[in-house]
Amino acid sequence: MNAATMHRRSLLRQGLGGLAGIALADMLHREDATADVVLHHPPKAKRVVQLFMAGAASHVDTFDYKPVLEKRNGEPWDPGETVELFQSQPGDCFASPWKFKPYGQSGKQLSEIVAPLGDVVDEIAFIHNLVGKTGVHSQGTLLQTTGFNLPGFPSAGSWVSYGLGSENENLPTFVVLPDHRGFASNGAKNWGNAFLSASHQGTVLRPSGKTPITDLFPPDSDFITPESDRAGLQALKQLNAAYAARRPSDDRLDARVRSYELAAAMQLSATDALDLASEPQHIRDLYGIVDEGSHVDDTEINAKAETEFFGRKCLVARRLLERGVRFVQIWSGNDNGFPRRNWDSHENVARDHGPLALGMSRGAAALIKDLAQRGMLDDTLILWTTEFGRMPCSQGSEGRDHNPFVFTNWMCGGGVVPGTFGESDQWGFRPRDREDATTVYDINATMLHLLGIDHKQLTVRHNGIDRRLTDVHGHVLRDVVGG
Amino acid sequence: MRPILMPLLACLFAIPAGPLVAADEAFLDLVAPVLARRCLSCHNDQKTGGGLSMVDPQRLIDDGYIEVADAGSSHIVELISPSNGRAEMPKDSDPLSAEEISAIRSWIDAGAVLPANVQIQAPKIADRQWWSLEPIGSDAEGELRTIVDERLDAKLAQQKLTPLPPADPVTLIRRVTYDLSGLPPTPQQVDAFVAQSRDDPAKAWRDLVDRLLAAPEFGEKWGQHWLDIARYAETHGYDKDQPRNNAWPYRDYVINSFNSDKPFGQFAREQIAGDVLADDTSEGIVATGFLSAGPWDLIAHVEVGEGKLDGRIAKHLDRDEMAAAVFNVFQSTTIQCAQCHNHKFDPIESEDYYRVHAVFAGIDRANRVYAGLTAEQQRHKRALQQERDDTTRQRDEAKKTFEQKVAKQAAAIDPQLDALTQKANQFTPPPQHGFHSQIAARADVVKWVEVDLGTAKPIDRIELIACFDDFNNIGAGFGFPVRFKVDVTSEATLTDQNATTIFDQTADDFTNPEATPVNIDVGGRAVRIVRVTATKLAERRNDFILALGELRVLSPGDGTNVAVGAEVHASDSIPPNARWSPRFLVDQRYHRLSLDEAEAKQWKQLREQRRAIVAAATTPEYQRQIEQWTKRLAEIEQELKAIPAGQFVYAVATEFPKQGKFLPTNGSVRAIHFLNRGDLQAPGARMLPGAPELWPDGPSRFVDHEDYDEAEARVALARYVTRRDNPLIWRSIANRIWQWTFGKPLVGTPNDFGRMGMLPTHPELLDLLAARLRDDRDQSIKSIVRELVCTNAYRRASFADGFEDITRTNLTIDASNDGLWRFNRRRLTAEEFRDSVLAVGGTLRTGDRGGPSFQDFVIERPQHSPHYEYDLHDPNDPASHRRTIYRFVVRSQPQPMLTTLDCADPSISIARRDESTTALQALAQWNNRLIEAMAKRFADRLSAETATDDEAVRLACRLAWGRDANEIEREPLATLIAEHGPETLCRVVLNASAMMYLD
Repeated sequence: MNAATMHRRSLLRQGLGGLAGIALADMLHREDATADVVLHHPPKAKRVVQLFMAGAASHVDTFDYKPVLEKRNGEPWDPGETVELFQSQPGDCFASPWKFKPYGQSGKQLSEIVAPLGDVVDEIAFIHNLVGKTGVHSQGTLLQTTGFNLPGFPSAGSWVSYGLGSENENLPTFVVLPDHRGFASNGAKNWGNAFLSASHQGTVLRPSGKTPITDLFPPDSDFITPESDRAGLQALKQLNAAYAARRPSDDRLDARVRSYELAAAMQLSATDALDLASEPQHIRDLYGIVDEGSHVDDTEINAKAETEFFGRKCLVARRLLERGVRFVQIWSGNDNGFPRRNWDSHENVARDHGPLALGMSRGAAALIKDLAQRGMLDDTLILWTTEFGRMPCSQGSEGRDHNPFVFTNWMCGGGVVPGTFGESDQWGFRPRDREDATTVYDINATMLHLLGIDHKQLTVRHNGIDRRLTDVHGHVLRDVVGG
Repeated sequence: MRPILMPLLACLFAIPAGPLVAADEAFLDLVAPVLARRCLSCHNDQKTGGGLSMVDPQRLIDDGYIEVADAGSSHIVELISPSNGRAEMPKDSDPLSAEEISAIRSWIDAGAVLPANVQIQAPKIADRQWWSLEPIGSDAEGELRTIVDERLDAKLAQQKLTPLPPADPVTLIRRVTYDLSGLPPTPQQVDAFVAQSRDDPAKAWRDLVDRLLAAPEFGEKWGQHWLDIARYAETHGYDKDQPRNNAWPYRDYVINSFNSDKPFGQFAREQIAGDVLADDTSEGIVATGFLSAGPWDLIAHVEVGEGKLDGRIAKHLDRDEMAAAVFNVFQSTTIQCAQCHNHKFDPIESEDYYRVHAVFAGIDRANRVYAGLTAEQQRHKRALQQERDDTTRQRDEAKKTFEQKVAKQAAAIDPQLDALTQKANQFTPPPQHGFHSQIAARADVVKWVEVDLGTAKPIDRIELIACFDDFNNIGAGFGFPVRFKVDVTSEATLTDQNATTIFDQTADDFTNPEATPVNIDVGGRAVRIVRVTATKLAERRNDFILALGELRVLSPGDGTNVAVGAEVHASDSIPPNARWSPRFLVDQRYHRLSLDEAEAKQWKQLREQRRAIVAAATTPEYQRQIEQWTKRLAEIEQELKAIPAGQFVYAVATEFPKQGKFLPTNGSVRAIHFLNRGDLQAPGARMLPGAPELWPDGPSRFVDHEDYDEAEARVALARYVTRRDNPLIWRSIANRIWQWTFGKPLVGTPNDFGRMGMLPTHPELLDLLAARLRDDRDQSIKSIVRELVCTNAYRRASFADGFEDITRTNLTIDASNDGLWRFNRRRLTAEEFRDSVLAVGGTLRTGDRGGPSFQDFVIERPQHSPHYEYDLHDPNDPASHRRTIYRFVVRSQPQPMLTTLDCADPSISIARRDESTTALQALAQWNNRLIEAMAKRFADRLSAETATDDEAVRLACRLAWGRDANEIEREPLATLIAEHGPETLCRVVLNASAMMYLD
């Protein structure tokens, strides 16, 4: 790895004007793919898991303890300024329906609905002073997934895939595990490649679906049999190899031959990655997997079902990470339909947040412990986020409206320094120091930094602008990365 | 006039008046550029971060940031000096460089001398010396195709590149048929062309090209190119991603415009202001579907609205999207870069960007009638809608005033009444409310509902229980008839003859029973049918209904309700849903009071007292007024119903029915202000419509008064864009035509001809094409395409036997084939692949053109956030066997197979598609259900049209690849069909590189 290689690679990426050829290069030069990846500094992390709470998870009911809300519960809330909320007028101070207590050596206060994370709380870096741009779900979600609050930009996972390439060509570099009950706001735009090559798009994997990856296997058919499938691929290889041989100096044609071989390999790898039956019972129990699988009853929202849904995705994520997937995005919560199966608790925080948070925290804690016991936590970064937070005041009597003015993210593993960095004010309404808030740009700059990438140097020119995941902003959170 | 300091990109300065001294120079050369570049955007006269503006740098001294001659004690130095890689200023940005800091320190130490009256202004690019902004120069005369070849050949010779020989006719017809129609040639077309080429190759080619350019498939192919850059889709995107069912007329407009070879200038003008400018207003309205084609944030516009900052941000993003689209597509200019600061590379000032916002300040994306309604009808409709809104508001205000008056008089009893009411309703009413009739426009429409017990039974009494519904805060008593009667019969059908009226309240109004059951004594009579007939319906808001919560029919003795589960009939009812259904009338689930007897009595008394207060407060005048309004509202609804719906297109509009907080401007304009760093909370001066002055004498200021007409502004922009002296638009489209013909543009960045874009490989050819198109009376795209495909360059081989050495040499000189020494082999596009798969199997419905799009998904949960489920679609559904350009394009859930094949992402303007090769693509082509289904159809066709395996293989290849299999290919294919049948053969043929690539 040297400057010349870097230069060559950036020429390769930008010199074509468009992007044709990049995925191709990645595919063709697989053997030396890792050699071709040039990092800007030694990395601490090699892979990322992003946990996304769709609908906007409340920080004041989970990780950001606000005793004043208990003291003033039901009293008029006066933050000293006029507040414009998404749906409602600010109501009274609203204490969390749950008790908080200290955990770990650090004594970090956690709410009872995220208590399972108490065991690993000393591994986590909490950032309580995130700020968003607007209180609109679509924009907030895009901002956290792509760094822009409008569509048309690559997901963070796509940038990581683009920057680092694949560790295992038999699996997609960037895998998405959506909530099986529906996509969150913006759907596939949250893992879209936008102007990067299609090879960097997030590939949706449905652990409980009939086909875990779209078109991974042949459909039900009266003529496709294992024999005809094999014979067909064999003939196809002959045809395409001959076609390529007659037309030398066109790498695309060789890549196409290879793409069918990789497809076949992916069938095996993906199946293997999803084979949770091979996990011992204590691991299945750790993640809260139940025998009913995705059929566990959730007619009424409940913790058992939410644990199964989220825990299963976390376990699958661990298996994918072990097999070289670079970026796994896990979703908790679907679109904003009814009955609610997401974190958008306008009506009733207790009803929705309780089961969702218990399920999430059990799965997340299991993932952290499991990675740690396998020695993978050191180079796997876990990033917990949501589109924004929720207000310290009530909406109706039991709900909370959106709070884009402050919310919480946390990071774990991958070289982050545990602790609490950045605080919200006494209410959890805005950053304590309004002049010193953390933004998604800082989070993404920090993530890329841990991966060995300078966020300002990972650029792609599109429609006349050298685009970055961090737009023109972002600072590495030095305290979080330990200097 | 104060001299203005204008640091340009290369630090070109306006020289201030007066002689320069050395200290002046230090400030001007070294300090001012830093302040302008790094500080001014947050510290200026509009946005005074920390209360400081640096426009007048004297303020730095006056406000105590600088201690003259003592940098060490100067606050500014403290602020900008980094520790640990971060400085306090510039905030949220990199610190100044060591050289910059040292320059500032030295200047302060030297006395902080400022030139007289100096002002600091944002750096901007004034330099228009750039290839794309120069006037288009081309004096070449003669046939376009000849000049193109001459120029290309000259450059090849200069670079010592040897062109490959012409391609063979079979390759040529496949190439040009895909390029101009997006479909494969049929074997008959191939044979005919090959034969004709033997006799007269020139004529054969001419005829073929003429046929393709005249065919409707041309628009279906080239229209897709345009839709890619127009970011066209049929859902809104963002949250919920709801469908735009009226977007498709714009897609047809694009296809038809290419087919009719609409003059390009007109095509461009119509898409910006066709509703005002076009001769054919219908077509002109549809054309503005271009402006509305991009994503739209429904929640932010409809639920949040402009009353809140988030809603105003959404409007800003909306205009930004339109401005970027117009300038990227027509001008190949990235105006969106000037949102937060002057464009760093091109002569576009931030003000220019906001001037373009002002052009779009009066329009929104909405459904708009383009046909089927006369202008008069549309006016009438809007007037009625307006009157309805006004009347409703007047009535609501009057009611509110009245209720306030009543509340004052009832102040003594209201607290107690409210407490009892709350207690009475403490049981949550069941979600199954009961029976609900259809809505009537008048109260005196007769409606009925009846319960059929199946057999006649002795009955003691009947209980009618009103519904409890929260509609309009009515609560208990919702929809209960004002006048009604109850009839019974023991027969199977109730008729006028056999009916016995057991309760009659048709002469006077009945007091709404609210939560109290209405008991009707039947006295043991045998009854089979019980019918409630309303002769005066309950009023809802502007309309009338009959609703009933429960109808209980009680037997003598034990009082069993024998109506439970009985059949219910009615004169009409609304479609059943979770709350309303005829069967909920007899489901034994109804709202009950939770008061004891004494409380119930007291509650009733209080309510009667309050009714008396209401009655006393009701003046005849008030009552008359309310009745008048109500009557008028009902009439308006009727009149509105009488106006036909008309045909709608999703376009831009100033008038449309309001939807939540999404309100039409009715032609007025939103005030656009200059925004510092794009921040809506830091508005600067009011901006009026205009555009950047990208070429000399371009009309860059469109209006000069604040109460301008938005239509006038858009027309001005349309004219600005399509001016003859605008060098950008003609070069832009010339480049695209070249790209869509040769597969690769002359300028590698078709949406950006600025300094961040690429340079033209053949500037003289670009100008030649641009000038020809501009100066052609018909501004005909087809005639340019005809010339280009008739060049030798277009007809070159992409590879040739015996030219291996030449190819290798050429590759060392021009690996990317910029010089066109060979033809650019290309992969089929996503659409071409899908269309071909349908075509070769004989299932493509080629004649089914235009109109609403086919959907290759099933929509689940359409009411809220629709789930677009591609897996549930039946690939054999003939409705979907249309060309891919007619598919319903979803933003949030893109079509999986087409996505792996790099179809355009409709969130952004896609000037060039990627051509990726991935394992997921292989999986899609190999395993997708459509491919499986079409392989079977293809195999059926082979079986029907051929007698032997050999013939089948031959036909399969000729259909899919445009040629017979060669010797190497024939053997594996023959084995495959023999051992695994024609379907597997077809599956392989459809996956072959010979299918996927065009030589």
